[in-house]
Amino acid sequence: MDTALQSLLYAADDHYLSDADLDRFHQDIQSLAERIETYETLRDRELAILQPTADYLSEEFPTADPKLLERSVIHWINILRYSAMAMLLNDQAFLSQRILEWMPDLVQAYQLQDIEKTLYRFLQMQLKNSLSPEQLNLLKPYLEEAHATLLSVTPALQPAA
Amino acid sequence: MISVKELIKESRFSGNYFVPDTYIQGDLESGLIENRDGGRLLALPESFIQAIYEGLTEEVGNASEAVLYKCGAWWGKTFYRRFAEEVSQHLGRPLAEIDMIEFLQSFQQCWKTHGWGNIELDFDFYQNGFIVAKIYNSAFARTSPTLDKPKCFVEAGLLSSFFGGLTGQKLHCIQTTCESLGADCNHFVLGLPERVKRAEAWLQEKHDHATIMERLSHGQADRYVKP
Repeated sequence: MDTALQSLLYAADDHYLSDADLDRFHQDIQSLAERIETYETLRDRELAILQPTADYLSEEFPTADPKLLERSVIHWINILRYSAMAMLLNDQAFLSQRILEWMPDLVQAYQLQDIEKTLYRFLQMQLKNSLSPEQLNLLKPYLEEAHATLLSVTPALQPAA
Repeated sequence: MISVKELIKESRFSGNYFVPDTYIQGDLESGLIENRDGGRLLALPESFIQAIYEGLTEEVGNASEAVLYKCGAWWGKTFYRRFAEEVSQHLGRPLAEIDMIEFLQSFQQCWKTHGWGNIELDFDFYQNGFIVAKIYNSAFARTSPTLDKPKCFVEAGLLSSFFGGLTGQKLHCIQTTCESLGADCNHFVLGLPERVKRAEAWLQEKHDHATIMERLSHGQADRYVKP
């Protein structure tokens, strides 16, 4: 559920909402239309965004195991889909609990950091082609959090020297 | 050439199936809590677990340890079956085809979401035939009577039959440290019964976990727990 609305709902348990609270409510409702539109764009352009990203990735890592590249692409298919839903719900925890507490070990175990860092860079380029700057801004905090959680950490499992 | 269309269709990776706000659901009308698969869940008060410990000790004395271990083993057997069904259904593959890392992730999240604390598995002694489990914030350690030895018999039994189901071998489990005795976590050692049971004497002699693991791993490493 939309966390901003949820906190207002709880706040209204024992009193009417203040003007400031109602302003927040109003802002949240106003941004909903934009969030729905962004979500629709991401849904409808999923292939158009991710196929060129995957193609670039194959070119960049011609000798890498295709299974690892596929695994990385699958990770980001999911991250993008869950980020879109988190953005629609205005709920950072949605992404964290479902994906970001879950995936770092997978990325580290398969040593996908380098591949996924490159993938992230290509994905940014594709998103810029498909989304307006305003839409990109709505999605940005979620993707940045995914990047920070998955790709900005030192791998716990290092390859044998 | 990677076909994203195919990857999306296959949907081989999904998010955390055991995420609490989705996994645990309530049916307000019938007064039930259920998991997302429709299986009934119960919330047990700590005082009830405490009462089980006390009631059993009063009625059967020292045999309560064996009774609790058996209860845990029974629970673990069905837990393994349900867990295997749910995870393989969610990931769209039988458990045997699921990567170890995905299995571990699912297992840890499942444990956490049910409110049994946090569990970590340590495979450092795997080549010697042992798996070590560490459980933090165990409900069974917290409510157990404070005695001079580890008391999480239910979890030991559960782990033995869960991993027994997973490996297809009869396993035994002993607990070497306990939060009820001031340790930071509960250590459990899993392995073949004849090998793990050797540690019981060392536990009685009050050796610590590291010493017990060292002694166990110095035994013959000729029989492994199969993954």
